[in-house]
Amino acid sequence: MTRLLDLGIDRIRNIIMDMAKLSEKSVTTAIESYEKGASTKKVIFEWSEQLRVLQDEVGDLAIELIARYQPVATDLRFIRSCMEIAYGFSRFGRYAYDIVDVLETMGSIANCDKSAVLEMSCTVREMIRISVQALQSKDKNAAEKLYQMDDTVDALYRKYLREAITPYEKADKGSFDPRCYISALLILRYLERISDHACYIGDSVHYIITGMSSPRR
Amino acid sequence: MSSEEYANTNSYKLSSLAVTKRHGYKVSVRNLNSWFGSKQALKDINFDVKENTVTALIGPSGCGKTTLIRCLNRMNEMTSSATVKGSVYLDDIDIYANNVDPVIIKRRMGMVFQKPNPFPTMSIYDNVAAGLKLNGIRDKALIREIVEESLKGAVLWDEVKDELGKPGLSLSGGQQQRLCIARALAMQPEVLLMDEPTSALDPIASAKIEELMNELRKELTVIIVTHNMQQAARVSNHTAFMYLGELVEYGPTKQIFENPQKELTERYISGKFG
Repeated sequence: MTRLLDLGIDRIRNIIMDMAKLSEKSVTTAIESYEKGASTKKVIFEWSEQLRVLQDEVGDLAIELIARYQPVATDLRFIRSCMEIAYGFSRFGRYAYDIVDVLETMGSIANCDKSAVLEMSCTVREMIRISVQALQSKDKNAAEKLYQMDDTVDALYRKYLREAITPYEKADKGSFDPRCYISALLILRYLERISDHACYIGDSVHYIITGMSSPRR
Repeated sequence: MSSEEYANTNSYKLSSLAVTKRHGYKVSVRNLNSWFGSKQALKDINFDVKENTVTALIGPSGCGKTTLIRCLNRMNEMTSSATVKGSVYLDDIDIYANNVDPVIIKRRMGMVFQKPNPFPTMSIYDNVAAGLKLNGIRDKALIREIVEESLKGAVLWDEVKDELGKPGLSLSGGQQQRLCIARALAMQPEVLLMDEPTSALDPIASAKIEELMNELRKELTVIIVTHNMQQAARVSNHTAFMYLGELVEYGPTKQIFENPQKELTERYISGKFG
């Protein structure tokens, strides 16, 4: 016989997986927009809003399940973690929107060197994929791998930050295009934050499975 | 003689036996086995209870919770077919040792039952005073003092102080249960054993008993049997999960309800069986 609580837990799980797909698609689309110069602000705004609404839905459902069924153990850990994971996916959507918003604000950046952002985005997109996969497969060890990748992202971010300043100091001020550097730095910052949230999702999966905080937390 | 002096008289304590705690625990159970006739009800139970804590015993019907709590103060001996092997230590005293008087153990480890059971023919006052009188206390001023203290301790005094002569049975179910707690407190126990004390009460009366447990914990050690897992989670510091006469898991309540170490515990508290 199915526990009534399980119906609610299945519902939360489905919402979370919908959020995982939508948030991954949002970030991927935003990065492709940066790379190819496509205008996607409207659609990513809509996805970001959907993610925010779904995050609220997860929060409301979690509170209802706690109030009605007083879940314990794995059930409780799952519900608590889903609230955090939903927040993480919602942030992915928001940062995706922030990325395309930068593109709209800055105007054409077609001639800028985009290698730094694209290099970091490869790692970050892989981190999103791993965090979603960890959630699906209940992989408690994903957190450690995500933190290792986050170290790489942080190192890249600091490196690009330093490099972004150096050419400005040396460059011929007439040929310097601040839009390239400002847009790259802002987007690198958003990618670095997405990387952090991917780690938090890995932490949540670790907590659901083991009941313990992940070793890095 | 003040109530404090009364509590310290030799007749009240375990005579000359030293009151030191076994490894710092108020109650320690070691290799406890119990049978009803040939049917084994408890199998090798071991656990320790810290002083001034609430410990909850949970588990499905027939798992041995009530048998265990009744073994803790030798109440099980009142069942003719019951036998016990193993040890229960109160402080440093093995309560099943030959030289220990079970009556004294029951004074030091009071018990409250599932259904409120005030003495039906007695007034509220006499219900609380009965145990004292049975133990030979004749000083009326002292008895009055202890009755008042006990009713206050059970958070009942304000509700009954002007009608102490009324029958105990005239009280509501929740008040009757607190009267029974006051009756147990009058004997100034060090441990209070509670066997499903709220199962016959409505939620408001249950909440009062739960709040009372938290207050009582400051003065004594409480061990409670409950079928209500949320109640165990709310009131206890430690929880023991029992199944088929065995102690499956024992630990801090937060751990048992958030991250149980045994699959069986997880399944039971999550409502997947039982």
